[in-house]
Amino acid sequence: MGISILVLIAGVAAVHGQDQKTTGTGKKEVRGTVTDSTGVLFGVTVYVKNQTAIGTTTDANGKYILDIPAGNATLVFEMSGYTTLEVPVGDQSVIDVTLKVSHSKMDEVVVVAFGTQKKGSVIGSVTTVRPEDLKIPSSNLTQALAGRVAGIIAYQRSGEPGADNSEFFVRGATTFGYKRDPLILIDGMEYTTTELARLNVDDIASFSIMKDATANALYGSRGANGVILITTKEGKEGRARINVRFENSLSEPTKMVEIADPITYMKLENESVLTRNPLGILPYPQSKIDNTISKVNPDVFPTVDWQKEMLTRNTNNQRLNLNLGGGGGVATYYIAGSMNQDHGNLKVDHRNNFNTNISLRTYTIRSNVNLKVTKTTSAMVRLFGTFDSYTGPITSGAAMYMNIMRTSPVLFKPYYEPDSTHRFVNHILFGNAETGNYFNPYADMTRGYKQYSNSLMGSQIELNQDLSSIITPGLSLRGMMTTNRRANFTITRAYKPFYVTPASYDKFTNTYILRDLNAETGSDYIDFVPGDKSVLSTFRGELASNYNRSFGKHAVTGMALFIIQNDANGNETTLQRSLPKRNITLGGRGTYAYDSRYFTEINFAYNGSERFDKSHRFGFFPSIGVAWAASNEKFFEPLKDVFSKLRLRANIGLVGNDEIGSASDRFFYLSNVNMNDAGFKYSFGTDGGYSRNGISVSRYNNTAITWETARNSTFGLEASLFRKLDVTVEYFLEHRYNILMDRASIPLSMGLEGATPKANVGEARSRSIDINMNYNQKFGQSTGLQFIGNFTYAKNRFEAYEEPEYPYPWMYRKGQPVNQRWGYIAERLFVDDEEVRSSPSQVFGSTVTRGGDIKFRDVSGDGVINQNDMVPIGFPTAPEIVYGFGISGNYKSFEFGIFAQGSARSSFWINPQSTAPFISYRYGSDDPAPSDVQLKNQLLKAYADDHWSEENRNLYALWPRLSYTTNSNNNQSSTWFMRDGSFLRIKQVQAAYTIPPRLISRLRMSRLKIYFTGGNIFTFSKFDLWDVEMGGDGLRYPLQKTYTIGIDVSF
Amino acid sequence: MRRIIKNITLLLALTGMLSACEKYLDVVPDSIATIESAFTLRTSAERYLFSCFSYLPGNASFNDNPAFNSGDEVWYMDPIRDVDATYHNIARGLQNADNPLGNFWAGSTRGSALFQAIRKCNTFLENVDKVPDLNEYERERWKAEVIFLKAYYHFYLFRMYGPIPLTKENLPISASPEEVKVYREPVDSCINYIVSLLDQAASSDLMPDRISGTENAELGRITKCIVKAVKAKVLVTAASPLFNGNITYASLVDNKGRQLFPQTEDRAKWVRAAEACKDAIDFCTAKGYSLSTFAGNTGYTINDTIRQQLDIRTAVTNKFNNPEIIWANTDSRAGDIQRFSMANLAPFTSTSNAKSIIAPTIKMAELYYSKNGVPITEDTDWDFNDRFALRTATDADQFYVAKGQETVKLNFDREPRFYASLGFDRGIWFGNWINNYNVYAPTGLLYVKGRAGETAARQGISNYSITGYYPKKLVNIETTVAADGNITSNTVQYPWPELRLADLYLLYSEALNEAHGPGEDVYYWINQVRARAGLKSVEESWSLHSKDPVKYQNKLGMRAIIQQERSIELMFEGQRYWDLLRWKIAHVELNGPVRGWDITQKDAIPYYNPMLLFNQRFDLRNYLWPIQISELRVNKNLVQNTGW
Repeated sequence: MGISILVLIAGVAAVHGQDQKTTGTGKKEVRGTVTDSTGVLFGVTVYVKNQTAIGTTTDANGKYILDIPAGNATLVFEMSGYTTLEVPVGDQSVIDVTLKVSHSKMDEVVVVAFGTQKKGSVIGSVTTVRPEDLKIPSSNLTQALAGRVAGIIAYQRSGEPGADNSEFFVRGATTFGYKRDPLILIDGMEYTTTELARLNVDDIASFSIMKDATANALYGSRGANGVILITTKEGKEGRARINVRFENSLSEPTKMVEIADPITYMKLENESVLTRNPLGILPYPQSKIDNTISKVNPDVFPTVDWQKEMLTRNTNNQRLNLNLGGGGGVATYYIAGSMNQDHGNLKVDHRNNFNTNISLRTYTIRSNVNLKVTKTTSAMVRLFGTFDSYTGPITSGAAMYMNIMRTSPVLFKPYYEPDSTHRFVNHILFGNAETGNYFNPYADMTRGYKQYSNSLMGSQIELNQDLSSIITPGLSLRGMMTTNRRANFTITRAYKPFYVTPASYDKFTNTYILRDLNAETGSDYIDFVPGDKSVLSTFRGELASNYNRSFGKHAVTGMALFIIQNDANGNETTLQRSLPKRNITLGGRGTYAYDSRYFTEINFAYNGSERFDKSHRFGFFPSIGVAWAASNEKFFEPLKDVFSKLRLRANIGLVGNDEIGSASDRFFYLSNVNMNDAGFKYSFGTDGGYSRNGISVSRYNNTAITWETARNSTFGLEASLFRKLDVTVEYFLEHRYNILMDRASIPLSMGLEGATPKANVGEARSRSIDINMNYNQKFGQSTGLQFIGNFTYAKNRFEAYEEPEYPYPWMYRKGQPVNQRWGYIAERLFVDDEEVRSSPSQVFGSTVTRGGDIKFRDVSGDGVINQNDMVPIGFPTAPEIVYGFGISGNYKSFEFGIFAQGSARSSFWINPQSTAPFISYRYGSDDPAPSDVQLKNQLLKAYADDHWSEENRNLYALWPRLSYTTNSNNNQSSTWFMRDGSFLRIKQVQAAYTIPPRLISRLRMSRLKIYFTGGNIFTFSKFDLWDVEMGGDGLRYPLQKTYTIGIDVSF
Repeated sequence: MRRIIKNITLLLALTGMLSACEKYLDVVPDSIATIESAFTLRTSAERYLFSCFSYLPGNASFNDNPAFNSGDEVWYMDPIRDVDATYHNIARGLQNADNPLGNFWAGSTRGSALFQAIRKCNTFLENVDKVPDLNEYERERWKAEVIFLKAYYHFYLFRMYGPIPLTKENLPISASPEEVKVYREPVDSCINYIVSLLDQAASSDLMPDRISGTENAELGRITKCIVKAVKAKVLVTAASPLFNGNITYASLVDNKGRQLFPQTEDRAKWVRAAEACKDAIDFCTAKGYSLSTFAGNTGYTINDTIRQQLDIRTAVTNKFNNPEIIWANTDSRAGDIQRFSMANLAPFTSTSNAKSIIAPTIKMAELYYSKNGVPITEDTDWDFNDRFALRTATDADQFYVAKGQETVKLNFDREPRFYASLGFDRGIWFGNWINNYNVYAPTGLLYVKGRAGETAARQGISNYSITGYYPKKLVNIETTVAADGNITSNTVQYPWPELRLADLYLLYSEALNEAHGPGEDVYYWINQVRARAGLKSVEESWSLHSKDPVKYQNKLGMRAIIQQERSIELMFEGQRYWDLLRWKIAHVELNGPVRGWDITQKDAIPYYNPMLLFNQRFDLRNYLWPIQISELRVNKNLVQNTGW
């Protein structure tokens, strides 16, 4: 009711706004609407320049009416957080303006640990990102981080819906523990990467990344890896404002891996046998090859393009966001909901009555309500939920891509049409060969589906009490309690495929029959397999008192803080892991600023973690920082035209990390003993009838283990040039010590079981430089151009690494980057077997090295190629440089933008096993293929075109001598398969058109915007087998290129 | 004043908060399992005892027995399928020090973690006295068993690596980096320590002499017979040329200047070994051990030829009351190895058919004696040069080779052990298949049809013998596999024989010959083994049939005879590889072509063309296992074995 009245009033006001009126002489009425990029603005101060007495503020609809003196008046529009706008009135009577969010105002508020500070007084390294910069054509927020945020190193390895999170680190990761990603806090509560990925950009009020000790000291337990701090929007007083955004994206792989044709496959597989073993039995007789070429019977002599059989070219995804906010004097509210629908590009067999393509629906709801309880007390209640509902193939989309690459193109068809003996069966006749134990990826894809459901429900209550009038001015107390429940379950439903193979082929009549391979074990009904279930509960309580007061030129703030956090997991597998994780923090902050010129800040935190022994349970993490706003000095006045702002800051401090070792190492001070371990069983008796399990130790107790600590310091420079160019440069040093690592001094002859004992002995240093710049150019009223750019260069190295005394200097980890890889220097391929014999011995345990295999350099010169010859090769796998730049502009109602992102100084290694043709490759313990099936790698077209062979002894061919087994020589980590990981990507291209308000006001709309966005449009890279960002294992679900059309409506 | 009170209150409140915090972080309940918990109850102490046993190498598994695939007895298709290639790669000359194959030092690449095993044994011995509800009898018996295991694990490492660090007592986990850098002890110190442990175990009153009557629950537990037999083996190993005056290892000197290998040959070591063998044989035979013969089975219709075959075949594979097996590993029972050894005698439709992958080489087929009990190269009646020609089986051969069928002459006129141990194309395979237990069956006994397209031939990429031979010896005669969909497969699993009496007899002959030269005693023990195999004595056989009729009368000749006898008698039992090493003849034996028949052929003539499968190489350094490079870096006091 209230809302509709408000809407009505607004409508009436709008209609009246069309008329022109003058009242009396010398005075003139000016009216108009003030908006920003998202809608109308309430509370904007409007006054006549140099006559502040003549002024007003805009109402809830962004309207103002002002009587101004006639003549050459100029109107000033001012609002905190926005660039102040001056508009000469002239003879206009309606002045509608749009205010731009300001990015460099000194009084802009920055969200910092447990509070906010004015931007001009922040000493820690905090980068704020405008939420609209995070709007990307994807339903995964983590993909927006690369190149947008100075100081974040990010890369994306997969494009599969539900598994496409980017990996990201603040300023490169210096730890070698299991938790390297930053702490993510949304409204003060800790969340996982996936939960961040699901956050709706439209709901974000502020997004900050805190990178150093001053900023993070209070987050002691996890702050060492950096903190991402997000707050969600709150309602604003006024009528309800509704905003709806809908998007549809077309997505397709950025690049598909090219596979050799089936005839070449057969010929080269024959070659692979003969070239290694002249007596070897050929897998394909010439008759089979000939018959396949002549296509005499494509069922009996099949050629299968598995990519075509299993994948579609592209897919469609939809996103819908809706939010409304408003409120009155007592309460304001913000309510938002979103629904995303993402699909994979897997084909669906319509003979099944279920859908096996990936379909990920994510829903979020959020309700933030502020209540003014008394004049000095306010309360805030936040309720939110995130829900993922997934159906897809039984394993994963990535598995489908992996399986395509591990299936022979000439062995069997995906399925066969029923022959006369199978006329009446209604199941699909999947293809297979021999005894039916080959892997048919099509059968695996269509035989059933997996469903999972993730939900996160959270509720938070926050109370603020202003104690100014009760105890002392400037003092307030804040309490917050948050609890989250996460639940997840997975269910799989599938049948067991029936396999057939064409048999009894009669070449004279060109007929065959389909022989059943597993008539007894197949099933045509769906069966069910329960999957993982998990239930997690988190509680966090915070109590803080704040003091904030100015005495003349002195500004003082103080804060005391107490936090407890408890995480419990209901589905853990071991006793130790089932115990809750707990943290306690006692902390405080004090700041002092003099005359807006000199600033200082002290933070400390006393953090406790349940993981350590009592004697080492608490860590103390203090920090101190200073800043000098040079541009506020008197002597700076003459320079102000050039340097509108110049500010220098520096800080140093300690931050801790308790998530070290591995996730299963819960209590280092306790030993981990399995009192009933079947791995240590023995049996006595003729038939082993008297059998007992054994006892094993997986970890010995160690009471000395404690906090990993980072001591870091930042030197920052903030400058504004010509009031158009804002530059922030930060130089960052970190020395991380007490890093947990394996003791290297324990020989195997000691006979210790389980994990190698560990100690806090590792040390690493990192240095990084972040540059962030922003350039705004205006051409008149309605045209603007903005350039943004940022650059992060982070480099680290081991400062202390416990390692034995090596015989050669290049073997030491110390002094090398944390992610450095060691390997052999590949010189070229061996010319022939004779050269192998006359070269340093190259034996790797399972294959005989021959001509055409990779020749490694004997760095140590001892005549043997072994570990002693492995040297640091290439750059680390995570890039050392990440950068992004973009340009955007607006002309009247049109907006456009282009954004490019790149990374440099990283290397990756083509996986020489997963790409090795003809072998049976498994991806380790989490391989999606069942363990009892035969796999057979495909042949990459690039390898088919360029490999060493007896006829073509190219010593620098892409692929060495073919082999029908895993070749332990060519598999070694070496420079042969090392590739440059740097790239530059046109990440986003955008165009938008805002329909002029006068055309839509009749539809009760205040804004209607239509936009087009292209994502990952083009990539510049030296590597062309697959999308370079996927790294060494590019045979998985590729990254996606998207084309999005969206509509954004506000009421 | 008020301020002071206020501050004190604040301080007290803070202190209270801190102690509450301490409590909040105490999430671990009491009574969480620690290593001490293993010794508070008899049942958990028993589990700890079983953990000590659990490190015994699983020798019945061809994938885990370092002496099964590493030498020249069997070979595999290339690419190898369904068999772990680790030890086969040793046979192919791919051993390396970076990541050694069969790394028993570390417990990786198919090796058992024997230093961990020794640590476990020591922990057990340190703590077992604390167990309150353990009676004296069990405690002392368990202790003696663990002392034996500790000795055996040291011996196992010694046999592979030569001089090893001796872990007499455990080093504490908190030991300093200097303390943990242990030294390899010289050969003689290692042997003396191992023997002292064995003597200690054998002297325990509560260790049984032999498991008798309680085999169902106790077979496999350590007895005095086992301890004495192992001691004999340890001392024979120590007296053998690899460890006794081996000048190849003159340069193996540690950083204290100690020579790790004795450089002069000491005949007294053989005397000591012979005494230990005698002691073990006397003790075992007094406790009822004897060479096994076929105990009979009512369902079988057999004749003398087949009976003799079954005498030989059951000596290893009979699990019930086998009087010959002194030590059987009851946790490592021959299961898969039987299916992998068996030939498909009849067409199959089921997937649980015989796999037939383990393929004895032609060299092994040639190693067996002629029917006259002498090597085929020496037999005056046996045409060695014409051995690859074909011959058709007659009535006289019908229980060895299918009547009227053609096979290579190499497969004719051989000793009974040849037919009992090897399956081959056209060879009779008694037992193991439906209706194949009657020698007088009207359709005749089933035989192996191994040529292309036939039932036992290669059908796909796996499940075939690359040489055309099958180690029939390892298959229990009652083990059946699915034949035609009606019979389910039934593997009669037998505990793997670690040590049997025939082994001891041959060790004794060897030790006596080395200590004192040939003589009646030397002949007596080897002849016992030959007699069970249906052969005449060494003296008679050589005198009558050998081109070198006096070979047995000199020490060198007798040594060769004993070595060949051992290789034949213990073939496929994981002994030959260790023997070749300790005799120091591996560089001769394992340097040559590996051959098998041309199994892809349909017709007899091309089928019996010996094909070169591999040219084997064995370098001198291969006599001892390499210590992995990373261990040498951690412990600078270790010296690497020569050549690695």
